[in-house]
Amino acid sequence: MKRSYHVIIVGSGLAGLAAADILSRYGLQILVIDDNAHLGGQLLRELPQAAAAENRFEPDRLKRQGVRLAARIKKGNIQVLNGTQVLGIYPGHILLVADSRGHVSEYCADALILATGARERQLPFKGWTLPGVMSTGAAQILMKSSGILPGRKTLIGGCGPLMLVLAAEILANRGEILAVLDQSSTVMKLKAVTAGPAIWPKLLEGATYLARLAAARVSIKQGVRIVEARGRNQLEEVVVAGVDADGRIVRGTERVYATDTLAVGYGFSPNIELPQQAGCAIKYSKARGGWFVDVSDAMMTTVGDIYAVGEATGIAGAGKSFVEGRIAAWDILKKRSVVDRQTYESNAGPLMRRRSRQVQYGRFLNHLCRLQPGCYAEIPDETVICRCEEITMGTIRSQLNNNFTTMNGIKKATRSGMGNCQGRTCGPILFDILSAYSHRPPDEIGCTSARAPVKTVTLGALAKMTVNTSQDDGDKCNN
Amino acid sequence: MSDLRISSVWRGAKINIRVNGKAVIAFEGETVHATLLAAGYRVLRQTPKTHQPRGIFCGMGVCYDCLVTINGAANQRACMTRVEDRMEIEVDET
Amino acid sequence: MKKPSQTDVVVIGAGIIGSSIAYHLARYKLRVTLLERDDIASGSSGACDGLVFLQSKKPGIHLQLAMESRRRFDSLARQLPVPIEYKETGGMVVIENEDEFSAMQQFVKEQQEVGLDVSLINRNQARKLEPQLSEHILGATHSPLDGQVNPISLTQGFALGAKSLGARLFTGVAVHGIDTTAGKVSAVETDAGRIEADIVINAAGAHAPEIGALVGLDIPIKPRRGQIIVTEFCSPMLRHCMISAKYIAAKFNPEIAQALGEGVSIEQTENGNFLLGSTREFVGFDKRTTTDGLHRIAAKTAGIIPALKQVNVIRAFAGLRPHTPDGLPILGPVDEVTGFFMAAGHEGDGIALSPITGELIAQMIATGKSAISLDAFRLSRFAVEAEKLEVSHV
Repeated sequence: MKRSYHVIIVGSGLAGLAAADILSRYGLQILVIDDNAHLGGQLLRELPQAAAAENRFEPDRLKRQGVRLAARIKKGNIQVLNGTQVLGIYPGHILLVADSRGHVSEYCADALILATGARERQLPFKGWTLPGVMSTGAAQILMKSSGILPGRKTLIGGCGPLMLVLAAEILANRGEILAVLDQSSTVMKLKAVTAGPAIWPKLLEGATYLARLAAARVSIKQGVRIVEARGRNQLEEVVVAGVDADGRIVRGTERVYATDTLAVGYGFSPNIELPQQAGCAIKYSKARGGWFVDVSDAMMTTVGDIYAVGEATGIAGAGKSFVEGRIAAWDILKKRSVVDRQTYESNAGPLMRRRSRQVQYGRFLNHLCRLQPGCYAEIPDETVICRCEEITMGTIRSQLNNNFTTMNGIKKATRSGMGNCQGRTCGPILFDILSAYSHRPPDEIGCTSARAPVKTVTLGALAKMTVNTSQDDGDKCNN
Repeated sequence: MSDLRISSVWRGAKINIRVNGKAVIAFEGETVHATLLAAGYRVLRQTPKTHQPRGIFCGMGVCYDCLVTINGAANQRACMTRVEDRMEIEVDET
Repeated sequence: MKKPSQTDVVVIGAGIIGSSIAYHLARYKLRVTLLERDDIASGSSGACDGLVFLQSKKPGIHLQLAMESRRRFDSLARQLPVPIEYKETGGMVVIENEDEFSAMQQFVKEQQEVGLDVSLINRNQARKLEPQLSEHILGATHSPLDGQVNPISLTQGFALGAKSLGARLFTGVAVHGIDTTAGKVSAVETDAGRIEADIVINAAGAHAPEIGALVGLDIPIKPRRGQIIVTEFCSPMLRHCMISAKYIAAKFNPEIAQALGEGVSIEQTENGNFLLGSTREFVGFDKRTTTDGLHRIAAKTAGIIPALKQVNVIRAFAGLRPHTPDGLPILGPVDEVTGFFMAAGHEGDGIALSPITGELIAQMIATGKSAISLDAFRLSRFAVEAEKLEVSHV
């Protein structure tokens, strides 16, 4: 038996919440689905008990807004399913869903808003699979969701503003930071500043973090790359070196840090798997963080009545997510004739203008995390690239030489991307490697396909699900 | 004990869980991967082909590295599961 | 990109069949050009399981070919430049009810008569061989000759093997025309230029009709979708590869299939993942999976190997089998165009029959005839059927 709604929102990050908030004011039947146990996605993580803590000032304005939204949603008339994973989307806006107990069932809606967010990008180095090496996001989440420091002394590396945010948070939690090592150069950052007024508030924020770190005497270095993580069974020391303008290691500048915790991150990649599986068109742009879901100004994808919002349509941070969630909600209200044209335009118009500034900010953000093609040439052969299937750079290189230079080709030839994570970790890395090696345009290199189930589910759950292929409730979700 | 727990954080109730049969400190609301890290379990499994140690990597349910057995169910993502009273966790540290 | 020029044979399609043919032709020292629109094994050959099953073949020329083909795997494993993961695991056809039992009794007799090493075993015997089998099964047929291979590795092995023997391989190159002069093939037109050749082999699988249309031929191949579930890695749980008795029924007798439903196949690969299939659907070129398909495969395979219920599914995909009206591939020269050869339509048997197909087609082209006659597989057999129909309507 399919449960049907007017709108189902997949993802309760800022984009999903912003949409739900608007839609809930007009009496529509809304369902929000999120695979996490909490509302708010990656930005609004906190210990369940912490919500009750008073007088905690949150410097990030968008985060404050998000916290208010989450509270409103929880109190309101919107149904929320946490710990619930959408496995696939089928014609007629039918969602196949696995709940927190592993029961699989179908839901449907007149319109879908896919707010699937982003994940972190990585640049592999020898030993990056050792326990103790984690993403910057993982370090943040440990602190925010569980109140646990990632390690006693944390070394932070990679590129992008998240490194500074993490460092500041570790300090606030009385943890120790060995150093913050930024692979990008000061020159690159200065170039990015020309991105326009949208970034100035962010620059101010960045400067605040820098000041805090300076006050705590945290060592911050530019143009330093992580070369190797060493340890017998877990991380014991990290080798770093200076890089030139092409991202190549400058020999003789190596330095070793002794630590058991390294947090690394190199920007973000849009989570496009579910939109892709639903048949939505995707596009490639470095300024958007790689492959992203192609949407109209009203956030509609190429599949009717399926919207995509937030980081899924391009990495640009919380501001864009918030605005895009709103835009999609207004479009749905207009299409259902719940609001008149005037109300729509007075709301959507300013939001769309704000959106273009946020997209501009996104260009800046993604430029900060831009990795030179030369980076990949120096990854040693024995470095694991596909973590799930343990495929090394050496294997990738030999198959590149066998002319497997598309994503599908390299996947078939090496098994990269065929493991548990289905290429979420290695995919963006492989794309950049193929790009650097073959210089083929993005559309030729391509993107591997996404199929249901987009995340794992037990065979038993699939065996037990009740599948209703009758047309009885087709009218409500007719398409 | 290393105590990576942040003292200023207001936690939920203390609960009883066991890791590889041993009692381990845990608080309601923590995720399994965090509780394990705080208890000193950094190596969570060995990879099937080359037996390399793996632990926490992405922390948000994407990478499938932090797989442990929870209450008899194998290959559960530790970072996507909250600890519960009397939870039995198995970690392959060999 | 260097322009492809003169060659002896153009093979269209670097799936399992085209790659095998190219390899075997290259061994005859012929100049071969293998053209592939996308990537090696990007079609059905990269979206299937790896069963090399003799038990599922109809006694007759089909089984004969399969038996010959199977013999080649060991030597191919040694010769090809890519590890093909061929294992003679032995195969089982799982029987779940009385109707199937009687049907399989008959089938086994026919197979034994043509010399296949296969036997009917009861539930206890079956579960001794495979402890993970459900206690609800009635029995099984078992053949030690069945096995499995890695289809993608095998395809790559053939293609790269051909290349190392001097064949030219072009991926990302589509064929959009075939030139003929006085009814003889003279050249192939591609995105990357014109290739002169006297012989063209249509090994384009489910897309063979599009290539056939380029020379005015009507090739009766249509795609038949098969969905497959892939599980996470498991430590070795299954020794044999297996199919359910329904699978054989569904393939050969649509009436039985209607009553009993589709069959399933279960394979644990070298890598440790389970490949669980399948469906048989005519949906054009739609490669999407369906909720219904996932559900049916899951329910049936979990019914045969209950321990699979706890295993995580990491992906599902679908392949398009090249289906022909009589279930036999279309092989050999065509009457209408000299120099144009067919090698497509293996529906579900492509992997198992790839060694022998490649060998016989190459032999035919290099020496004028093949050790096993391919007359029964010619395209012209469908024209005869059409004529018969016409006559009966007069």
